[in-house]
Amino acid sequence: MLDKKLIEEILGVAMSSGADFAEVFAERTRSNVIRFIDKKIDRVIDNYLSGVGIRIFSGTRTIYASTTDISREGLLSCARSVAEAFGESKGALSLCLTPKSVVDIHSVKVDPASAEAKVKTDILKEACFAAHDHNEAIVQVLGNFLDTEREILVANSEGLLVGDKHTSTRIVVNSTASDGNENQSGSCAPGRSMGLELFELFSPKAVGEKSARQAMVNLGAGYCKAGQMTVAIENGFGGVIFHEACGHSLEATQVGVGMSEMCGKLGQKIASDKVTAIDDGTIKNAWGSVNIDDEGTPTQRNVLIENGILKNYMIDRLGSRRMGMPMTGNSRRQSYTFEPTSRMTNTYIDNGPDKNEDIIASIEYGLYAKEMGGGSVNPLTGAFNFSVREGYMVRNGKICEAVRGASLIGTGSQILMDIDMVGQNLDFGQGVCGSSSGSVPTDVGQPLIRVKNITVGGR
Amino acid sequence: MKFEDIKQTVFDAASELGLTEYELFYTSDSSVSAETLKNEISAFAYGVSGGACFRCVVDGKMGSASSELITPEEMRAIVKRAEANARIIESDDPAIIFEGSSSYEKTNMPEIKIPGAAEIKEKALKMQENTYGVSELVTDGTQSYVFSGESEFRLINSKGLDLENKYKTVGAYVQAVINRDGESEESFESTDKLDDDTTLALSKKAVDGAIAKLGAKEVESGKYDVIFSSKQTRALLSTFSSVFSGRSAQLGLSLLAGKEGQKIASDCVTIVDDPRREGCAAQTSFDGEGVATYRKTVIENGVLNTLLYDLTSAMKAGRESTANGQRSVYAEPVTIAPYSFYIEGGKKTFEELCATVKDGIYITALKGLHAGANAVTGDFSIDSEGFRIRDGKIAEAVKSFTVAGNFFELLKSVEDISSEVTFGLPSCFTSYGAPEILVRNMSIAGK
Repeated sequence: MLDKKLIEEILGVAMSSGADFAEVFAERTRSNVIRFIDKKIDRVIDNYLSGVGIRIFSGTRTIYASTTDISREGLLSCARSVAEAFGESKGALSLCLTPKSVVDIHSVKVDPASAEAKVKTDILKEACFAAHDHNEAIVQVLGNFLDTEREILVANSEGLLVGDKHTSTRIVVNSTASDGNENQSGSCAPGRSMGLELFELFSPKAVGEKSARQAMVNLGAGYCKAGQMTVAIENGFGGVIFHEACGHSLEATQVGVGMSEMCGKLGQKIASDKVTAIDDGTIKNAWGSVNIDDEGTPTQRNVLIENGILKNYMIDRLGSRRMGMPMTGNSRRQSYTFEPTSRMTNTYIDNGPDKNEDIIASIEYGLYAKEMGGGSVNPLTGAFNFSVREGYMVRNGKICEAVRGASLIGTGSQILMDIDMVGQNLDFGQGVCGSSSGSVPTDVGQPLIRVKNITVGGR
Repeated sequence: MKFEDIKQTVFDAASELGLTEYELFYTSDSSVSAETLKNEISAFAYGVSGGACFRCVVDGKMGSASSELITPEEMRAIVKRAEANARIIESDDPAIIFEGSSSYEKTNMPEIKIPGAAEIKEKALKMQENTYGVSELVTDGTQSYVFSGESEFRLINSKGLDLENKYKTVGAYVQAVINRDGESEESFESTDKLDDDTTLALSKKAVDGAIAKLGAKEVESGKYDVIFSSKQTRALLSTFSSVFSGRSAQLGLSLLAGKEGQKIASDCVTIVDDPRREGCAAQTSFDGEGVATYRKTVIENGVLNTLLYDLTSAMKAGRESTANGQRSVYAEPVTIAPYSFYIEGGKKTFEELCATVKDGIYITALKGLHAGANAVTGDFSIDSEGFRIRDGKIAEAVKSFTVAGNFFELLKSVEDISSEVTFGLPSCFTSYGAPEILVRNMSIAGK
């Protein structure tokens, strides 16, 4: 993407005022979003992102600059502004980079960039019409077909020079059901780090039908009553609870500055014995996987919690300096305009010892959260709130009527201890996680779990 | 490439392809920010960004493509890609390249001086020092953040339209973290002014806000009279702003469809959309399609006067655009969004509003609105914090309760409104403003 000699020169200039580390991140991202609404394709967003970010460190202080001007003069001027922000120039350093190659473990079979537009619009239409056809009460279907191809290059003053290319494909179908008085919604949005072979795993028809079915369930549901109860949270996107309530508290972004309830708890019991939690950026073709992170560090399988004991955090380069611990391949950013920081990749609670049927049978009165919605958390206190996208009451060990408007409220440290049953059907759900370095694709995951007591918001 | 060269390259390429209706939208931005941690600058950032978006009409369909790579080859490529993308479109929605409004009102933006890099760092450090100085309870994790930005817009088309806008912004945030005997609390405040009095007051407000939360108790579940703080009323308005989109209404995604001219809110609710609100740093005299912007009353004493429209949705509705077809950066498609969108203040002070509540809750934080609210249904169920109101006065702090309701029902049940309207920081030309609002008998789920 950039000439090696030029990168060496940029790094040398960036280091000229006494920084102890410099990094260049170059990016080219092609993204395409085709939208379906009102039973027709109505919009195409077709964008090409191109720019460079330059960062320097002195200890744990950082200076970051980004630019779309990738001419030689533009980049050197960007490097100079970074150096000047740090101090007076003592003359450019001379650096030598050693190119490194990356093993691509997320191979692409059908490249979306070179596919005919019609192939994509046909897939999108098949999914969206399946949602419309599911029931007459489905009054609107909004679909998006998204594919991106992101090329990055990372070089730093330690001599690293490495590049990678990442392709992802996703389809999102949102259905709205109406009985004339009120609207209810349903959604299905599978995605992978792969090409159009995604639709060998998920038939477009099934995606559309799932979205519509959920909207119909909610349309027929009454409001969930609020209160404390036992809750069973289903697999897949149910893992958002771990992502939000615990995952963010294990990021160096928070831990490195003492802003996490998980600070200083390595080796301590922070969860029930049945909880083993992992962040793994190496899962083949998973939505949150990458070969290397945005600092050029290869991703890895990182056991965060093992049988309830805190084993590790997710650590980027700055976090590594702050915490005196090794990097874990978790440094990510939405694009070159963001300074990277520690982020999750594919984060999940691993399979446990309990049978799924035993989990439901064990609940006398409670809620079965079949699909979770989004949520948010205060990392300082671990306080969280998640919406339940599809939920059912459970009575005497049986799943009963659907309820809507429920939310799960608690704190990360408490829920980890209160997970008293962990099932065996581990699966993943796709999300886009927002934080200080922008929005990045992440997988959340878990098997069916039981939380013995949690506040359910409703009305 | 200079803008004139980009324009020439793009327009030449368009003519070569035989296009007759097309448009070039170009934005460029620069920003500087400093962030502190403990007593030093932990991060300092510069950004220069921008790009070009080409749109064209082919057989009555609109195609578009954009890029940040400003080279002659790439500028020719976006013209070709836009033409190809137009051929994918099936929608019968009118595709309009606008010939221009008869006149454009001038913006009246405040004079903003962009501080130099050194000054930004100095201000951030000073704010941090101020914040630590407010109380001995202030602890690490406390952060101050100061930023400045400049944005430029150009919109030019085959029908002779040629519009230009520039604005500057500055602002600061404080995140105060306090600890008393192991109990941590935090509070976040922001401002769009950088003078010493404002930033000093900001630090104090953030620390006081965090201290006030200490010792917060849980509340019993039940029905309560609720006052939403000005900030949280703003947050609700922002979360549900898409229900005012004429496009959403046409698609059946807003329950305000067909409600223009009808009463949808209580008498005390008046909502205004103003592209040139006095004092607002980001104003514009034209929207992303080139239509002249104007101030409008969206809800007047409870009656929905109008939804917000862009050219396409307006033509479908057989009316004029309200000039709300916004584009905040080059790559963003035309999106219906408000400008300064605010609930007008009432007559009572906050204290007078509280005095009408015997036993209630003053809500000062709604967490995770993006997840706990659904604009299509209007339902929300949100983890909240605040204070009890007892005998008309603010009493002890409360936390970990959920307030649940429906936005459309909420609009109808606002009983009264305080007089002071506050605004959040603008995101491009959009900002939300509100006073405190009183709503009786809301569902609260606590312990």
